[in-house]
Amino acid sequence: MRFRPRRLGLRARITLAFGLGSLLLSVALSTSTWAFTRQSQLNQREAEQLDTVIRNAGSVRRQLAGGARPEGWMRDHLSSLPTAAAGTVLREEVSTSANPPTIATAGTRHSFEDVPRSLRQTLEGGSAATMRYRIADTPMLALGVPLIAEDAIYLELVDLSDLEHSLDLLAAYLAGASGLVTLAGATLGWWASRRTLLPLTDVGLAAHAIASGRLDTRLEAAHDPDLAVLVSSFNEMATALQSRIERDARFASDVSHELRSPLMTLAASAEVLQTRRDELPPRSQSALDLLVDDVNRFQQLVADLLEISRFDSGAAHLQLDPVLLPEFLSRAVALATHETIPVLTDGASTDLIVSVDKRRLAQVVANLIDNARKYAGGATAVRVVHRGDEVDIVVEDRGPGIDEADRARVFDRFSRGAGAGARGSDTGSGLGLALVAEHVALHGGRVSIDDRPDGDSGARFIVTLPAGALDGDDDDGRPEAPDLSLPDLADVAPAPSGAETPGRAP
Amino acid sequence: MGTRILTVEDDERIRTAVKLALEDEGWIVDEADNGEEALELFARHPSDVVLIDIMLPGIDGFEVCRSIRRNSDVPIVMVTARADTHDVVAGLEAGADDYLTKPFAPKELSARIRALLRRVRATDPLSAHVRLGDLEIIPDEGVVTRAGAEVHLTKTEFRLLVELASSPGRVFSREVLLERVWGYGYFGDGRLVDVHIRRLRTKVEADPANPRHVVTVRGLGYKLQP
Repeated sequence: MRFRPRRLGLRARITLAFGLGSLLLSVALSTSTWAFTRQSQLNQREAEQLDTVIRNAGSVRRQLAGGARPEGWMRDHLSSLPTAAAGTVLREEVSTSANPPTIATAGTRHSFEDVPRSLRQTLEGGSAATMRYRIADTPMLALGVPLIAEDAIYLELVDLSDLEHSLDLLAAYLAGASGLVTLAGATLGWWASRRTLLPLTDVGLAAHAIASGRLDTRLEAAHDPDLAVLVSSFNEMATALQSRIERDARFASDVSHELRSPLMTLAASAEVLQTRRDELPPRSQSALDLLVDDVNRFQQLVADLLEISRFDSGAAHLQLDPVLLPEFLSRAVALATHETIPVLTDGASTDLIVSVDKRRLAQVVANLIDNARKYAGGATAVRVVHRGDEVDIVVEDRGPGIDEADRARVFDRFSRGAGAGARGSDTGSGLGLALVAEHVALHGGRVSIDDRPDGDSGARFIVTLPAGALDGDDDDGRPEAPDLSLPDLADVAPAPSGAETPGRAP
Repeated sequence: MGTRILTVEDDERIRTAVKLALEDEGWIVDEADNGEEALELFARHPSDVVLIDIMLPGIDGFEVCRSIRRNSDVPIVMVTARADTHDVVAGLEAGADDYLTKPFAPKELSARIRALLRRVRATDPLSAHVRLGDLEIIPDEGVVTRAGAEVHLTKTEFRLLVELASSPGRVFSREVLLERVWGYGYFGDGRLVDVHIRRLRTKVEADPANPRHVVTVRGLGYKLQP
């Protein structure tokens, strides 16, 4: 597998570029400042010292020319010379190599031999010279003047430690400043990129809001001429998108609304005919049965279309009631089918109370059972599994199962099962599972499809709902969401067990 | 004398089809295609049940409902476009006893009408007087008095109060009240109960905002407090 380094984000890159730029610039400035300062300090020191050396050399020459030489006179004289140097050295009898030269020193442990050879040679050659060198890690400046007439060399040694110390301090200070400048540069980059990208963040948030259904989201008008174009074209796009989506949703809704009136007339008339079915000849009876069946199917389709167009126009609202989930499911199953489908609970879900929209969740259960009946020979069980703050409602069947590739598509509108090419006596609207997904999403839950865990063929449709108390639009003065610590339900009057009225049109 | 039903519906074809279906049940059906006509007709021939479409030309269904309710406690069924809109609550607030959404099956309508008629003629589960503070319920006469003065309740409100009074202090879930008063089961619309409780409170409570008798029990339902 090839390793691909993660690309840095735009902001990180801008910050990095600003930081690097500041670093290079500040390092270049610091280095040149340091070098210039060092050079000028050294030159100045050297120039000052050179004057002193020449004056002192003159004084020594006069002394040497004087002739009188008591013991140690020269050391005393050297010591008395006014100089900033750490020490002075006088070497006599330079040219007489036969005898060891006479050397007088003052103020220094270093002898003439400690001075670099090249300097000595230059001096011995008769030229004045200066040189910087290190000895025992101490920076030194040596200034020598050959006294040719007296056959001697006068040398002053200056300790440069103080200068070097100052320069080290300066270097440390400049390095610190460079670091700060780099940091400031990076901060500036971070801030500038943030400022620059802020409008893009707003655009991103607005796009996300639109994508999640809040179609009326718009960006605030920008005063910045650079951004005004972006803002206005984004808002134009959002407006176009909104009107397009609303037109589509309104069309479906309008069509369904318009269909309702003739459909009511049809249904009522068909019913009048049906009460007189026995009076009709057999052929008319068959025709009437077809008519009644398809009117019912038509009514279901229109009802489902209206339901789903409410979702599309964002007008769907939850009407939450606390329910004892296993009891609710038993009733929903009984309402949906005459077959006996067991509702199985695990230990944790037997007394589980959740806030649900009863009408919607009953439709979810009914549509899932209906789907299992059509494509899988009927549901085998409805299970309730309580896991932490979620609860799974699982509708199982023993049909052929659903390929993983088809699972997401199953919840699309008007998508029919793979084995259902011919409609046959299928009375579904094709919106059943799409409505399941919409109802569940409105509850803040999700739907998924899984294989049976026991390895047999068959599908499990899993509705996952939040198991905590939900907050709905509670504007009808209804009792509030359940306080789950309330007394046990035995205090409540038992629910009626008689025949139920279908919940669709309550 | 047969049961009279007044249907107020501006779509002639629907009105005719519904009339045919209801006549099959053996009821006499009066028709009105607008609110003014409906009120005039109701004044001349008081009906046993009124069916009102909310969307009417001229004065709307809510107003017709309120006008009828001013003089009569006749059972009223509203026909609304959608179950999950505010129309339902507004219709119930205007005095309707029940509602249906379009398109409904005429069988469903007949079932609702029969439930309402049963309510009117029901033998109440309460035979003795019940006295709760300043509130007195006399089931035989269908009379409720508060502080000695008679309170006018619709049949549905009265039935609701009598159900609650059949066992004062016990909590009735909305499902139970839907079953006992409206004939709906578990999946009935709880808003029917909620709005009727609210209407009941405005009549029997001294301060409807802080009810003393008809009390909400959080998450469970309602009870009548002695």
